[in-house]
Amino acid sequence: MATNKKKDVLLKIQDLRIEAYADEKWFEIVHGVDLTLHRGEVLGLIGESGAGKSTIGLAAMGFARDGCRISGGSIEFDGMELTTTPQSALRALRGSRIAYVAQSAAASFNPAHKIIDQHTEAPLHYRIQKRVEAQEDAMELYERLRLPNPQEIGFRYPHQVSGGQLQRAMTAMAMACRPDLIIFDEPTTALDVTTQIEVLAAIRDIVDQFNTAAIYITHDLAVVAQMADTIKVLLKGEEVEEAPTAQMLENPKEDYTKSLWAVRSFQRDQKPRPTDPNVKPVVSVKNVDAAYGDTKVLDDVSFDIYEGMTVAVVGESGSGKSTTARCITGLLPPLKGEILFKGEKLPPSYKDRSKDQLRQCQMIYQMADTALNPKVRISEIIGRPAQFYMGLQGGELKSRVDELLDLIELEPSKYYNRYPTELSGGQKQRIGIARALAAEPSFIICDEVTSALDQLVAEGILKLLDKLQRELNLSYMFITHDLATVRSIADEVVVMQHGKVVEQGPKDVMFTPPHHPYTDLLLSSVPEMDPNWLSTLLEERGVDNIGEAAEI
Amino acid sequence: MSVFVVGYYSLLIAASCLAAYYKRREPFLIIFGLTLISIIVGIIGGIGALKAITTVVALLALAAGMSYAFKEFLVTITPERWAKELRTAPLTASFGMFVIFIYAIAGIFAPVIAPHGEAEVIASSFAPPDQNMLLGADQLGRDMFSRIIYGARNSVGLALVATALAFFMGALAGLLAATRGGWFDQVMGRAADIVMSVPSLIFALLMLSIFGTNLIVIVIVVGVIYSPRVFRLTRAVAGNVVVMDYIEAAKLRGEGNWYLIRKEILPNSTAPLIAEFGLEFCFVFLLIAGLSFLGLGIQPPTADWGSMVRENATLISFGEITPLIPAAAIALLTVAVNFVVDWMLYRSSGLKE
Repeated sequence: MATNKKKDVLLKIQDLRIEAYADEKWFEIVHGVDLTLHRGEVLGLIGESGAGKSTIGLAAMGFARDGCRISGGSIEFDGMELTTTPQSALRALRGSRIAYVAQSAAASFNPAHKIIDQHTEAPLHYRIQKRVEAQEDAMELYERLRLPNPQEIGFRYPHQVSGGQLQRAMTAMAMACRPDLIIFDEPTTALDVTTQIEVLAAIRDIVDQFNTAAIYITHDLAVVAQMADTIKVLLKGEEVEEAPTAQMLENPKEDYTKSLWAVRSFQRDQKPRPTDPNVKPVVSVKNVDAAYGDTKVLDDVSFDIYEGMTVAVVGESGSGKSTTARCITGLLPPLKGEILFKGEKLPPSYKDRSKDQLRQCQMIYQMADTALNPKVRISEIIGRPAQFYMGLQGGELKSRVDELLDLIELEPSKYYNRYPTELSGGQKQRIGIARALAAEPSFIICDEVTSALDQLVAEGILKLLDKLQRELNLSYMFITHDLATVRSIADEVVVMQHGKVVEQGPKDVMFTPPHHPYTDLLLSSVPEMDPNWLSTLLEERGVDNIGEAAEI
Repeated sequence: MSVFVVGYYSLLIAASCLAAYYKRREPFLIIFGLTLISIIVGIIGGIGALKAITTVVALLALAAGMSYAFKEFLVTITPERWAKELRTAPLTASFGMFVIFIYAIAGIFAPVIAPHGEAEVIASSFAPPDQNMLLGADQLGRDMFSRIIYGARNSVGLALVATALAFFMGALAGLLAATRGGWFDQVMGRAADIVMSVPSLIFALLMLSIFGTNLIVIVIVVGVIYSPRVFRLTRAVAGNVVVMDYIEAAKLRGEGNWYLIRKEILPNSTAPLIAEFGLEFCFVFLLIAGLSFLGLGIQPPTADWGSMVRENATLISFGEITPLIPAAAIALLTVAVNFVVDWMLYRSSGLKE
C-alpha cells in the first residue's frame, strides 16, 4: 500500500481552527491543526470521541456542520483555497472531486430509492456520464468491491442488502466520479468483525487501484494500522503526533499515544466453575427456542452462568445473542425450554414475575443515550430502583444514591442533579451500570456495553465492571461481538451462529486451537496491530471467499 | 413638492446609503427596494399613498420594537432556565407572546377595563364613535369597545376550557393506547376514526340541537370533536418513546402503566403536545366563533366575538368597519398563537441544530 507515494500535494491544511456554538458563545474545538496529503496517500486520523476527527475530516471538504464554523487557517485542495471559495463552487467540488463515506451506510442511503439510482446521481448531475454508462460503471465498481451479483445488486433497495454490502456500495458510490480524495468517517465501526474485514479489504483495494488519496477516520488503532500510510493522533482538537504507520506502531513518542496503544492490555484472571456439583448456577438457560412471529431465531440454546462468573456470548449480528437476553429477561417468552434462576423456574413473561425475581436480573444497554431518560435527573434515574424495590425514602435514598455514584467513580455532589444529556458517553454508561446496581441484583446482562465507546473509555468501563464483580460477587452475561473484550473479561465463552450455540467452554480452552470453524473465523477476523495482518489474512483465506462471510 | 415628500425620499436614500456603506446586504436590499417601490407608488398614488406606506412601516417598526422590548423584559424577569429558551425566540414569537399577554390582561380584568357593562344599552343603535364610546355602538346601542373586552373573556375563556378538555381526553387516551397497545389501542383508534369522519361543524350543530345550547354542552361537544386529533398525535409521539431502552428498563423493573406514562413517556413528549395545544386552540376558537355566528354558541346578551360579527353584519353594506373589529380580534389572536406555536415547533422538531 505504501508504493505510490511522494507525488504532488493534494490537500494542505494549515493552522486550521474550528469553532462551535454552544450556550450562546463560540468556542474553539479544533486548535490549529496542520495536515498534508499527497495524491494516492492514505492518512489515518485517530483519537477518542470529541477529539475533532470528524470535524477536521469535513473541513477537508470545506464544510462545517451546523453550529460550527471555520474560524481560521487555510485549506488548500489542489491549489484551491476552500475557506474563501463560494458555496456553489464548493458544492461542485463535493461528490465529484471529494467524496465522503459516512459511518452508517444504513442511515445515509435514502431508503426510498434503489442503490444504483443513488449511485448514478452524482455522475449524472455533473454530466460526467450518461445514465447507462454510469450504471455500467457502477456494476464494474460493484464487481471490483466483490459485491455478490454485481449486475443485479444495484437494483435493490438499501434495506434488501446486508450492512457490510451496503457499506461497500457506499464506497462504490463515493468512487462514482473517480474523486481525488475520499474521506472515510469510521466506515466499519458499526459492523461486526467478520463484516469489517470485507469492507476493509474492499476499501483498500479500490483506493490502491484508482490511486485515490484518502483520509481514514477511526478510533480503532488496529484498523487504521491496516489502512493508512501515515497516522495522525488527535486529542481534544490538537495534534499529538504524526508519523508513518510502521514507525508509529513500533515507536510512539508521546505518552498519550502510548496509552492508546496499551489499551488492549487489560486482562483479568480467569475463574473456574465451582467444583462442588451441588452448587446451582445463578442462571441456567435450558433448551430454549424462540421466534419473532413466524421467524425462528433461537434453536435449542442452553448454557449455565455460575455465581461470580462472566459468560461472554459472542457471534456476529443476527446470531441471536440479544434475543437470548430478551428470553432471560422475559421480554420475549420462549416457545420451548425454560430459564432457571438458582434452580427455580422463572415464569416465561416478565409480567408474571415477582418483584424480587425482576430485581435479581438487571440489564445494561448498548446505547446509553436511549437507555437513560433524557428528562429525568441522575439522582432519580439511579434512585428509582432503590426506592421501588427497597422502599428507601428521603435521606436514606439520597445516601444510597451517593453510595452508588461513588461505586461507579463519579463525584456525587457534582453529578447528583445533572441530566443525562450533560454527560459524556462513558459517564452515561456508568449511570446505566449504577441503575442496574441500585436494584442489588445477583445477575447482570451487559448487552454490547462497550461497543459504542472508544477504547480508552471502554477499558475504564470494563475495569469498573470487573471491580464491581469482585466486590459484589455479581454474575455477568456479556453480549459482544468484540473478541478483544472477551479476551480481557470473560471466564467462559458461548459462541452463537444462526440462533444456535456452536461451541462453549472456558475461555482458555476456547482461545486455543482446535476451534469450531466458525469460532476460528471470528477469532481470525479480529484486527491486530500488525500492519500486514490484513494482507496475510487475505492471502490465507483466499480473496474470493471474503465476500461470503457476510452473507447470513 | 411638500416637505413630507422631500423628507421621505431623503430619509430612505440616506438609510440605504448607510446600509450599503456598512456592507449590510439584507437591510440595504430591503430599504433600497422600498425606495424604488416608493418612487413608482408616489408617481401613481401621490402623497396619500406615500403616507399610507409610512404608516404601515411605522406600525411594523412599532410592533417590532414592542416585541423586542417585551422579549427583553421577559428574559430579565424570568429565572435563568427559562430566560435561556426565551432568548432564542424570534421577533414574531415575542410579538405573539405580547398579543397573548394583552388579551389575557383584557380578559382577566375585563370589568375594570371596560367603561360600560356588556349588556348595558347606552346609546342609539349603530351610534358612531364619540368620546364616551371608543368604537361606537352596536345594533342595540351597547358600547362596542366594552363588548370586545368582555368578549375576550368569554370567547377565549371558553375556547381555553374546551381545548384543555380535548387535550385531557385525547392525551390520556393516546398515552394509554401507546403503552398498553392491543385491543385497547384498536378500540380507541376506531372510535377516534368515527368521530373524525363526521365534519366537525355538522357534528357540533347536531349535538347542540339535541342537548341544547348551554356552556357545559358546548365545552363537552367541542372537547369530543377535537380530542381524536390530540389522541392521534399523542399516540404517535408516545409510540416513538415507548420503544426506547429506558422504557424497557422501567418495564423490566416492574413499573406500572401509570408510572410509565407520568414519569417516562409524558416528559419526553411534551414539546410537540404543547405546540399542538396552541394550534388546536386556534381551531377550537374558530369553531366556537363559527357556532356563535350561526347562533348556536354563546347566547346573547353575553358578548362574544363570533356573534358580534353576525349581529353587526348589516353595517358592512354601509361601508363601516365596525363589524370587522371583532373579526380582526379573532384573526390577531390566531396569528399570535400561531407565531408562538411556530417557534415551539421549530424548537421541538430539532431543526435548531
